[in-house]
Amino acid sequence: MRYMAGVDVGSTQTKAVLVDEEGNIVSSTLVDTGSNVVRAAERAFSEAIVLAHLNRDDIEYIIGTGYGRFNVTFGNDQITEISCHAKGITHVNPKVRTVIDIGGQDAKAIHVDETGDVKDFVMNDKCAAGTGRFLGNSAEVLNLELDEIGPRSLEATNPVRLSTVCTVFVESDIMSHLALGRSVENILGGVHRAVAARVVALARRVGIEEVVALTGGVARNVGMVHALEEHLGVKIFVAPNAHFIGALGAALFARERSLALK
Amino acid sequence: MANAAKESQEPQSHYQGGFHLLQKELMNDYFDQMTRAAEGDGPPAVYLLISGNPVELIRAFDLLPVFPEINALQIAAKHQSLPFIQKAEEVGYSTDNCAYVKADVGLWYQDGQAPMAKVPKPDLLLTNYVGCNVYLHWWEHLAELSHAPIFDIDIPFIRTSDGEPRAEDITYVVRQLEELIPVFEKVSGKKFDPDKLTEVMEYSKETGELWAQIKRMTVNRPSPFDAYFDAVTMMGPLYTLRGTKEGRDFFRDVLKMVEEIKSQGKGPLPEEKFRLVVEGPPPWPYLRIFRDMFARWGAVFVASTYSTVGGLWEFGFSHDPSDPLRSVAMHMLKWNLTNRNFLQRYQQLKSYVDEWGADGLVIHSVKSCRLFSAGQGDMREYFARQVGVPTLLVESDLEDPRYFSKAQMRTRIDAFMESLEHHKLVGLHT
Repeated sequence: MRYMAGVDVGSTQTKAVLVDEEGNIVSSTLVDTGSNVVRAAERAFSEAIVLAHLNRDDIEYIIGTGYGRFNVTFGNDQITEISCHAKGITHVNPKVRTVIDIGGQDAKAIHVDETGDVKDFVMNDKCAAGTGRFLGNSAEVLNLELDEIGPRSLEATNPVRLSTVCTVFVESDIMSHLALGRSVENILGGVHRAVAARVVALARRVGIEEVVALTGGVARNVGMVHALEEHLGVKIFVAPNAHFIGALGAALFARERSLALK
Repeated sequence: MANAAKESQEPQSHYQGGFHLLQKELMNDYFDQMTRAAEGDGPPAVYLLISGNPVELIRAFDLLPVFPEINALQIAAKHQSLPFIQKAEEVGYSTDNCAYVKADVGLWYQDGQAPMAKVPKPDLLLTNYVGCNVYLHWWEHLAELSHAPIFDIDIPFIRTSDGEPRAEDITYVVRQLEELIPVFEKVSGKKFDPDKLTEVMEYSKETGELWAQIKRMTVNRPSPFDAYFDAVTMMGPLYTLRGTKEGRDFFRDVLKMVEEIKSQGKGPLPEEKFRLVVEGPPPWPYLRIFRDMFARWGAVFVASTYSTVGGLWEFGFSHDPSDPLRSVAMHMLKWNLTNRNFLQRYQQLKSYVDEWGADGLVIHSVKSCRLFSAGQGDMREYFARQVGVPTLLVESDLEDPRYFSKAQMRTRIDAFMESLEHHKLVGLHT
């Protein structure tokens, strides 16, 4: 059996996925990217190999994706995460036509066709408003774990209206709501709504066609999924491995290219 | 492993073709003239704006045209704009303010000492384009700083559906140009000489026609030059030297060079894989990096709207020596990109896409110019969805390096090119 790998080096976390020549996932790993990006890519990749009980030589083709894709120094090629998310998600659910991907520092909306090709895409500008970082900063200000904020936002009864989507100014905004005696749940409800509004505006620019999928690290946040569904008025598909969709897409491209070489 | 080597081996375009060297020589002469004028050895300086510029009238009085926009972009292209911008912010300009304005105001506070020249103080400030009211205030600020007189030419925006200025608009502008003549007489100390104006107009006419021919050459496959990155280098002489023999000769030489490149079947890249159209000014502080982001994909720009801000010669305009003022008025009203309405801009882009045979459209939106950028979101949608041309919208700035993020820009461009490449491959097999 031959194997291929995709390594998705994101701003916050680095993911690796190995697939076999039939396109089945054999292992996935996740590490924090940290300051040594090359090292993070290597770690995620070697851990994936170990997890699959394979050797380095078993991997025939490797593709790097994400912001750090050029730091996957052991890779054969690089492909952007836009193409990889489109590829990965249509492999998991071929009915998906719109992908919303919210990562640590960017948000994107991709319109895909039935073959997984990118028809159109838009991304946020040079500003982290409406990204994972915004949620991360909000959690920090409220002294909560990142995993907590989604579920607690669902308990909001009267979500606050934030006056900013700026990742920097959200801190003082949250402080002022706390000072006014608003509950943590209502503040979190407002935080998730603010991100949803920003991301939906982005997604409307490529056009919302169902099925809509959410990918990237933020897909694990149930509060975000809920806020997006509420704002869009459609049900959102979240793959069980939503976090790994970019790496999976890269691995699937690696598979295609490797098979084409034979 | 192979990646570092791979990046360095990626194709780069030819930046130093014959016409680039020629342009450099001419522009250096022009900058030397500016420096001499700044040192008191030269004609009076008239500041004016690029959009539909009436440089012919300035040349007819042997005055020195100074384009603060050109000075600002030169500073940016030399990677030195930030300290000038910060200087303007120190005196109170907001970070969101037009960065061309800020770089130029910052330059004033550095006594006009730019990297390429010392810029003379204005003897007259001519506002020849009023479509941007930030520009009006820019000139007001310069008037306050320099105590130079200011002359506003009010150019009505084209608001007719057929894009034709109304008869009264033309008369209105011609009257203002007539009023401008005694102002020029006063500034230059010279009597108006109609024969001299006719001579300038003859050179302008020929220059515009040559430029139109050059611009049309990019319909060829491969395109003999890049209609964005190469064309913008020719814009300097087009504005500063139009109406002079040197200017005319430059465009004659460029046309010959371009014809030669065409006859050899060559282009700016080893292989032209994609033909693109672009809207918006380039990110001057990162011009080369931006160019290489497309060059590595074999993408050549075959048409650009930015190269038509000064005039739309390629769509049939030509100065008329037999009716100088009317023809200058028509240039200012009808025959430049920025005085046109959005539907005309769409039409121009659409004709580039159709006639020039483009694979995609790239819109470079300018963060510090909401005026030029407003409507580009709709433009993207119109082209992507209704016209059916793959369209990419990216954002940075024309002057302020702080708005450019290399990794983000590269991801957007790479993703766009990946999908164009895929469509091309699929298209070949169907």
